[in-house]
Amino acid sequence: MSLPEHTRPPTTADLVTWLAERVAEYREVPVGQIDATVPLAELGLDSVYVLSLCGDVEDTWGLEVEPTVAWDYPTIEALAGYLHGELAAGRP
Amino acid sequence: MTAPTLETLLGDPYDETNPTGHAAVLAADDAGEPLAAGEAVLDGWSVNAEYVPVALGGRLADVPTLIRRLRPVFRRDAGLGLGHGLTTLMAALNVWTAGTPEQCRRVAGLLLAGERISVAYHELAHGNDLARNALRAEPTSAGFLLHGTKQVINNAGRARAAVIFARTADPAAPPGGRDHSLLLLDDLDAVAGLTRLPRLRTSGLAGCRLAGLGFDGAAVPAGALVGEPGTGGSTALRSFQVSRCVTAGVGTALLEAALFGVYRFAAGRILYGRPVTALPHARYLLAGAFADLHIAQAFTHAAARSLHLCPAAAGRYAAAAKFLVPRLVEDALGDLAVVLGARSYLRTGPYAFVGKHLRDIAGLSIGHAGGVSCQLALLPDLPGLVLDEPAAPELFGTSPLPPLDFTALRMRASRPDPLLAALAPALDAVGGELAAGVRVELAELRAAAGALPVAERGVTAGHRSLALTERYAWLLATSACLNSPHAGDPLWTDAVLERIGLRSGRLGEPRTTTAAEAAFAVLTDRAERGRSFDLDPEPVVRTR
Repeated sequence: MSLPEHTRPPTTADLVTWLAERVAEYREVPVGQIDATVPLAELGLDSVYVLSLCGDVEDTWGLEVEPTVAWDYPTIEALAGYLHGELAAGRP
Repeated sequence: MTAPTLETLLGDPYDETNPTGHAAVLAADDAGEPLAAGEAVLDGWSVNAEYVPVALGGRLADVPTLIRRLRPVFRRDAGLGLGHGLTTLMAALNVWTAGTPEQCRRVAGLLLAGERISVAYHELAHGNDLARNALRAEPTSAGFLLHGTKQVINNAGRARAAVIFARTADPAAPPGGRDHSLLLLDDLDAVAGLTRLPRLRTSGLAGCRLAGLGFDGAAVPAGALVGEPGTGGSTALRSFQVSRCVTAGVGTALLEAALFGVYRFAAGRILYGRPVTALPHARYLLAGAFADLHIAQAFTHAAARSLHLCPAAAGRYAAAAKFLVPRLVEDALGDLAVVLGARSYLRTGPYAFVGKHLRDIAGLSIGHAGGVSCQLALLPDLPGLVLDEPAAPELFGTSPLPPLDFTALRMRASRPDPLLAALAPALDAVGGELAAGVRVELAELRAAAGALPVAERGVTAGHRSLALTERYAWLLATSACLNSPHAGDPLWTDAVLERIGLRSGRLGEPRTTTAAEAAFAVLTDRAERGRSFDLDPEPVVRTR
């Protein structure tokens, strides 16, 4: 198992920033163009991007998530809140 | 514990008077009808009980055992195996995965009473693009109103029940991942507004009764819902993992039967003053198909066991096996047809079944999840695989398995890849030039996958990116072979490594015939002793 690179538990704001950077990277647009309150689908995240994002979450935060989280928490803000809760609960 | 096996009940396929032998199977296939005598044998043996978990009163304990028990059917007639009931298993798996205890009991009851359940995902307009499926289940105060059509659904004309994949989200809303749900209709004849549509004929699996279901405002109760609303996709992606392993596993039985048939033909046919088996090229083709069979079975064995032992990664192995194995079987059948020569093209005579198997394997390859859709399921995973924990030896052996836990299967496999991680240590143990070549291939695949941009990980991927999934599948198959208990035999190991190198396009024809000759000797011995050619041989009933 790969261990999370981060020693300090991330805040929700850290996760918002990190998610926005990922989405910007996928979409090849400046991070400033990414609105954390807009549905991911409207940001151009299709199911393939979502799978890659789940992989990045596992690699960076050591958290195994299913792609359905992106539909159940459909904005960067909502997703960051969910991830923060899972990390705080110490779930793998 | 002396219940007869299906092999005994189905009897000698080469006996022309056997109602479940090759001649009868081909006659039914030519008529485009299910093999009635075969269906009677399967009903008498309660094959449906194999699809019901032990906890629900059936005989389904583990997936490798299910595959092994169904092999006698698929050796004779894939259309019988699939048409009689494998699609009933595919339907029921959704209920075992996501149904309530009450729904599970009801479906178990239907199956144990011998009823068929159709599995209704497919819409011709959308192929394997499940997220675009259009059949609508419009929520009402009492349940749902169904509008739309499912096509190419096995037994749609005669099944008692069906599991339907339907859009429950507002069709005007943008597409998301919670748009579809599964509905269990347990008595199709009682559904007003449902029409059973005309049959669709196929070039292979000709005895399967594929048809359609048309819904025109059909009302179904709220209790028909399997799982929460919007979970149809996630349930499907988990239950497919089991059906993909089963389909790949039973598909190997077509090759086993054809290999025996062609061996029998070659041993008895005199050409140029000697039996065909005395011709080096024919012997080489037979030995090669024997190696193909063992590669296919070692891989499906590990994939099927992974459902029980490493379920978090099993989705990848199921997709890889469903993609690679039917294609390998098809290629091997093609080689065997070369040995048969002109007879491979005849629709009559004792070897016409080889041509039928070739037509049928294409259907198993397409059925339920086409090869490319399986490749697309693998592609997003390839860049990040973690190889630091090799699978335990149990993945490759025959130790008793824990029960299948459907809740442990994942839509998206996690990063650790125990089967691929077990490859490098096995290569170290084998050593030599062939193993060194695989080590280079593993490193190259890892490097190429790591460099895949995100746009190349989905449906917009080019052919070079998609080809990585094939290389990955071959490496998984290699790991399954080298970690198998059979790898203790260096000649067997050389034979499968040479064969994988050739089939995957990495190597040319082998320089020596040592491994092929050793394989041919085993093949001859098995044929004479009435043992099957499988990786795990079993007694077989067939005239030499």
